[in-house]
Amino acid sequence: MELELQLIGASLRSIADEMGAVLVRSAFSANIKERRDCSTAVFDRRGRMIAQAEHIPVHLGAMPDAVAAVRAHDPAPDDVFILNDPFAGGTHLPDITVVTRTRVGFAVTRAHHADVGAVEPGSLPAESRTLEEEGVVIPPTRLDDAVLGALVARMRNPDERRGDLRAQLAAHRLAAARFDELCGRRGKARVEAAMDELHAYSERRVRGGIARLPDGCFEARDALEAAEGSELPLRAAVTVSGEELTIDFAGTAPQHDGNLNCPLAVTRSACYFVVRCLTDPDVPASGGAFAPVHVRAPEGCLVNALPPAAVAAGNVETSSRIVDVVFAAFGRAVEVPAQGQGTMNNLTLGNDRFTYYETVGGGQGACPDADGPSGVHVAMSNTLSTPAEALELGYPLRVERHELRPGSGGLGRHRGGDGVVRELRVLDACRLSLVGERRKRSPQGVRGGEPGAPGRNLLNGGELPAKVTRDLSAGDVVRVETPGGGGFGPVPNGH
Amino acid sequence: MILGVDVGGTFTDAVLLGDGGLRTAKVPTAARQEQSVLAAARAVGAEAIERFTHGTTAATNALLERKGARTAFVANAGFEHLLHLRRQDRAHLYRLCEAHPEPLVPLERCHGVRGRIGPEGVITPLDLSSLTGPADDVEAVAICLLFAFRDPLHERAVADELRRRLPGVRVVASHEVSPEFREYERASTTVIDAYLGPALSGYLEALGRACGEVGLPEPLVMRSSGGVATLAEVAAHPALALVSGPAAGVVGAARVARLAGVEDAISLDMGGTSTDVCLISGGEAGRATEREVAGFPLRLPTVDLQTVGAGGGSIVWRDPGGALRVGPESAGADPGPACYGRGGVRPTVTDANLLLGRLPDRIAGGLALDSVAAERALAGIDPAEAIEVVNAEMLRALRLVSVERGVDPRELALVAFGGAGPLHACALAEELGVGSVLVPAAAGVLSAVGLAVGDERRDRVESYVRPLEEAGELPVQGEADLRYRGQAFELTVPLEDDLAGAFHRAHEARYGYADPERPIELVAVRTAEIHSGPPLTLPPAEPLETLGPARIELEGATCWVRPGWVGVRDGTSSTLRLKRLSRESAESGT
Repeated sequence: MELELQLIGASLRSIADEMGAVLVRSAFSANIKERRDCSTAVFDRRGRMIAQAEHIPVHLGAMPDAVAAVRAHDPAPDDVFILNDPFAGGTHLPDITVVTRTRVGFAVTRAHHADVGAVEPGSLPAESRTLEEEGVVIPPTRLDDAVLGALVARMRNPDERRGDLRAQLAAHRLAAARFDELCGRRGKARVEAAMDELHAYSERRVRGGIARLPDGCFEARDALEAAEGSELPLRAAVTVSGEELTIDFAGTAPQHDGNLNCPLAVTRSACYFVVRCLTDPDVPASGGAFAPVHVRAPEGCLVNALPPAAVAAGNVETSSRIVDVVFAAFGRAVEVPAQGQGTMNNLTLGNDRFTYYETVGGGQGACPDADGPSGVHVAMSNTLSTPAEALELGYPLRVERHELRPGSGGLGRHRGGDGVVRELRVLDACRLSLVGERRKRSPQGVRGGEPGAPGRNLLNGGELPAKVTRDLSAGDVVRVETPGGGGFGPVPNGH
Repeated sequence: MILGVDVGGTFTDAVLLGDGGLRTAKVPTAARQEQSVLAAARAVGAEAIERFTHGTTAATNALLERKGARTAFVANAGFEHLLHLRRQDRAHLYRLCEAHPEPLVPLERCHGVRGRIGPEGVITPLDLSSLTGPADDVEAVAICLLFAFRDPLHERAVADELRRRLPGVRVVASHEVSPEFREYERASTTVIDAYLGPALSGYLEALGRACGEVGLPEPLVMRSSGGVATLAEVAAHPALALVSGPAAGVVGAARVARLAGVEDAISLDMGGTSTDVCLISGGEAGRATEREVAGFPLRLPTVDLQTVGAGGGSIVWRDPGGALRVGPESAGADPGPACYGRGGVRPTVTDANLLLGRLPDRIAGGLALDSVAAERALAGIDPAEAIEVVNAEMLRALRLVSVERGVDPRELALVAFGGAGPLHACALAEELGVGSVLVPAAAGVLSAVGLAVGDERRDRVESYVRPLEEAGELPVQGEADLRYRGQAFELTVPLEDDLAGAFHRAHEARYGYADPERPIELVAVRTAEIHSGPPLTLPPAEPLETLGPARIELEGATCWVRPGWVGVRDGTSSTLRLKRLSRESAESGT
């Protein structure tokens, strides 16, 4: 690679990172500031992703659709676009995306907002059936003060929403200044050449990684636990051919009446995640890394849903299951990790005065060469936990317990990671929305490893369903026990 | 006479200052640090010493090699696994089973105690009978209870109880070492402090005794904050001394810059395996309140260093995508770069510098450099490209401490030191837009200079986490951590009458907007008691004016003057000043 282009490429990555730092540090809601549920990226003029600050894998492959949606509106240099419509560049409504132009392309920020005006407080209703019920749908829209005011007025805690959006805008201002400076120093043409090169470089690396996989077609099945107690089957067929591969979801359930549906952008993200884990975990995050990966899913199915499907849990839960099923398909050809907790354990509490959202880590599945870590986010998320002290200073909530769940990881030559027990007491009457998976089907071990323990949800000691929305009284205690990861290989003799 | 001795991984440096003179010495670091300290003091001819300051890696080594005390941990019941849960993020996004460093306390030595304090005070009274551990075979105990940063009542009671139950065991409570909110980071800091305690106090006691035997005064020890403290103070809280040596380097750079009339600068300390950079404003090292050490968060005052895993010994390699890379792997001191002729075969930054003619045939210590071996090792890699790659890594750190903090580098000087800093300084200054570079005569031992003259400093932090208007009377001098109510990260501004105004301005400067309508929250107030160290006087070095490209030999380092630059020493100072020539003067050759 030409050296100057490599060096400019490093600067482009720095810009994305610095945007991320500004967003996190100046944001207001716990979900962004404490948990870093956000991503920032720079794109080239053609709408290709060039560099992304990596906080959250589920944002990885899903941001190009946002830029494409905005490009269709012919943005002027000073326009600021905002969107969250899952069927026009978004993922699920809480993820609000802002897109602006830079001297040589686009800057993008995406942040998961704690409330977007759904029927239920918080951003993740457990029982929504249409997109409308999940909050304010924002198609790609030019943002100005009036639009911003009108949007946040339709959400809960408008002041916090406004603060978070201003934090996003601060990251965009920074990007504009940094691009001006970089173009001034290196010249616009060189910066553009470096964007091409960074894209091509990632593509070369991933092509090399795919070429090392055996050719062939491999398939696997898994299922999601729908709210009504039924199962929604997923099927993935992976075809590896030389330096490219195709992942096809034909045979997956049609979109359903609940909110486990997801747009294709989310499905692509989950597929890219698996390919990256298996081929080149250190490749720079640019769109080139995914050029050799083709994702197909029948229109109107669970993983390529059409309006007006509800999609709130698709981004968090279905994406986790897609990772499981795609790993399982690759597992027919190469060694892959055992299944991790396979859920993000989405917990939302709120009323008219506050909304709080968090996700809880669990067990990672064991790898061919190592035990699975305990108490971590395993696939499409990597958000931090909210410190008990920050939580209690900011919300009418108390953390009663936060500990590992010993023995929940599956045994094996390498053990699956343990899940987590988290108990929150609400000090104020409020609504609860809890969205979990792997409450019935355990995360599976591979190559003879044992499964991890499934998760549980409890209210004051009584069992709750996997997905639930209900009223809580002051003093109620919600307990979430997250699943353990599966083991890898048979348990050695004598253990 | 004043003495500074800095123990590094490979060499121990000593400087002796007094009567306007400067003497330096370098000896190999021995397995027992106190012996290296005495050997270096002997080598520099130390006698009649009035003040002796020491920089140590003993704490860092004990942590990295995990040779600290057998430590237990006490938390609230239900939070025993705090150290193991960390903040629930995984170590690597795509290497799913990559592990975080193993906590310093294993699960079986983590204990819970019933009783709970919340934001408004006691919720459940403390029940000491519920605390059934730790067993008496532990050497240290760390205690971290929720909200102890605000109300240490329960923590104090637990600490008293454990000191009674376990006489002779070091017991550290979180409010004693880091009284700030966010329990995981506070617990991590407390555990590190407890874990290092016995080893570091043992070392410092041995050192104190050994110094007494040879007639040296009891040494002061440099802390991460860039201030020195007594041996007993450092032994009491060793976590405060984890970046002792690098902090001394920044102090040395700040003092040398001040002598040259420069108050605002960036220090560039490039050694064999890593490079540290730090912003110096108004003659003072920038300070941070948190840093990661050995994979653990450490929330204590430290000079605000950015560390890059690249130095002179870093390996140059090509990755699978064809990009040229440098570090973080290093050839270290043994075998060292290929050109050292000690069996190293992989190419390093030093080999590239040698092939570019930027190093002499023979370096400090009389080591002859083998350019044939360097060429063989680089095997077709363009050495100029290797230097550009490593410079890019350092530039990232330099931009982070300047441009990304809203500081315009054109108003700064770069102070280059460490064995390799002066070789790269001109190129970095050009890229960053810095107009001048200062290279101290003692570039190879500047940390020891910083030790010799470091201020005595004791930091104090008071936690508030409440609205600014309810804060009441605040100290006159010091700094405040402020944020808009609802934010999670603070901006630190110097205390002044209009603290709110200062915060709005700082927010505007950092994030591009301020929100005067939004209430402000005071998170913490930081104050420091400072006693100035001895004045620094350095003997002038002989005057010179050298036009680049040229090499200038210094004490333990070589400076490379790039084409288009001139190196000047005017005869009154020991510091070499490198300036970029304007195009016209460069062309006319003046």
